[in-house]
Amino acid sequence: MASEEKTLKQVEQTQIPDTYQDPTVRKVITEKDLHKMVWRSLMLQSSFNYERMQGGGWTYSLIPGLKKIHQNKTDLGYALLDNLQFFNTHPFLVTFVQGVILAMEENKENRSTIRGIKVALMGPLGGIGDALFWLTLLPITGGIGVSLSEQGNIFGPILFLILFNLVHFFLIFWLMDYGYHTGTRAIATMREKTQEISRAATMVGLAVVGGLTASYVKLAFNGTTNSFSIGKMKMNIQTGIIDKIMPALMPVAYVFFCYWMLKKGRSPLTLIGITLLIGLIGAAVGLFAWPAAIK
Amino acid sequence: MEVSIWQALLVGLWAGIAAIDQFNGLTHIHRPIVTGAVIGIILGQPTVGIITGGTLELVWAGMVPLAGAQPPNVVIGGVIGTLFAILSKLSPTTAVGIAVPFSVAVQALITLLFTGMAPVAHAMDVAGLNGETKTIDRMAWIEPAILFVGFFIMGFLPALFGSNVITPMVKAIPLWILGGFQAAGGIMPAVGFGMLLKIMWKVEYAPFFVAGFIAAAYLKMEILPIALLAAAFAAYDYFANQNRKSSGGGTPAPASGPSTDDDDEEDYSNGI
Repeated sequence: MASEEKTLKQVEQTQIPDTYQDPTVRKVITEKDLHKMVWRSLMLQSSFNYERMQGGGWTYSLIPGLKKIHQNKTDLGYALLDNLQFFNTHPFLVTFVQGVILAMEENKENRSTIRGIKVALMGPLGGIGDALFWLTLLPITGGIGVSLSEQGNIFGPILFLILFNLVHFFLIFWLMDYGYHTGTRAIATMREKTQEISRAATMVGLAVVGGLTASYVKLAFNGTTNSFSIGKMKMNIQTGIIDKIMPALMPVAYVFFCYWMLKKGRSPLTLIGITLLIGLIGAAVGLFAWPAAIK
Repeated sequence: MEVSIWQALLVGLWAGIAAIDQFNGLTHIHRPIVTGAVIGIILGQPTVGIITGGTLELVWAGMVPLAGAQPPNVVIGGVIGTLFAILSKLSPTTAVGIAVPFSVAVQALITLLFTGMAPVAHAMDVAGLNGETKTIDRMAWIEPAILFVGFFIMGFLPALFGSNVITPMVKAIPLWILGGFQAAGGIMPAVGFGMLLKIMWKVEYAPFFVAGFIAAAYLKMEILPIALLAAAFAAYDYFANQNRKSSGGGTPAPASGPSTDDDDEEDYSNGI
């Protein structure tokens, strides 16, 4: 049966068996294989679609290991089909799941057990990863880079890439080794550690967002058109009043306005629209400066 | 300025590479801070490119693919924004205001692609059950190839026709509208920062936001020293909690100290 080519219709009716035709446990995965699969994990989202999400890329990244583990072709077919189903986690933490799952495949654990662990791991790791990398590491390294870039310094992008990828590549290689060597035992430790790490990351992240708000949100009234006179004294609304209350008062107020709107369930797209409107109306009535004519 | 066909090809090539990196590789060469510098170098104006890239980077600080949901496309935002800044001599913030609508349009195209790619998954199922790993290996490159070609075109065409088509168009725009884009572009990072706060904000951690804000607004500190100071406090907090845990007696203390445990549990369910 293994030699016959299967069609789409047959695939849809396939029930993946829980056990293997060849249940012999062989330790075949080497350090080299693990690292090869870390590199392939960079293609995790290569077949991304809304039905299976990362399922295709996940399987692609495991192929060298699965091929070595399942020398029986039928077993390999079921292993591939099983892994091709829905999968979605954070790309920087996926190697941990890979490590754990590879150790289980190598031990020829029941397919349903492997599937269960895979699904149980991907969700929480996805949430943690979003918070740690997209919402903390990226703004921090980006913010550091931008502080150089805004002066036209080429080391802005270079420093950004170095800092970001040091963390990125250290993590994906370390997590693969850790996940594979510790197996399912790693899951509990991982959970505790990520809790502590995300607490620390939130602290640093919030401090950086506070700094970024003050430095990089540019929201100020045009001084020359927005001033008034008291007797002989000319008062500039922006520099004379608002900045005296607190520097960056309007930027921080607007950031919290956005935060409030998002909390209320408004989408970022709505906020982008509102921001464009405020800019255009504000400029039309003279609150904001106009650029010099383009030559 | 005039753009040669070679320069336009290079811009397209970079846009294509960046489009692949935004989903595969994730070395983050696709971020505007890098794209701005690269396009600036290609067009012979590295300084304008670097500065514009930095401005665009902040706008996308919080616009990230949370749980796979697509934000306004960061690659096309970086490419178009930098092209406008250089070819039409717009200020970086004005270029941001113009780039954002383009990136929203491309966001829709990406959503379309991710919907249309589902049949490939079923083709992979067939190959998988038959144990044909080589076929899966090949199919894995279909989507990156589509992304490359699509973004190559979206980078190449505006770069080639930028000075002849886009610049006259931009010149025809009334100054108050450009002023509006400039103001909006300056405010725009606030949307991203608001998104960051939505996920990270908790009253318990608010002192860190306040400290970071004061350090930048009053003390005029750079972001790097602010991050390092905050990291020092976070490390202190970590070790203090470790000590509390180890001296906590027989019952195992919660991971982040007794006083904050409830909050941390809640934190988790929020996805932090």
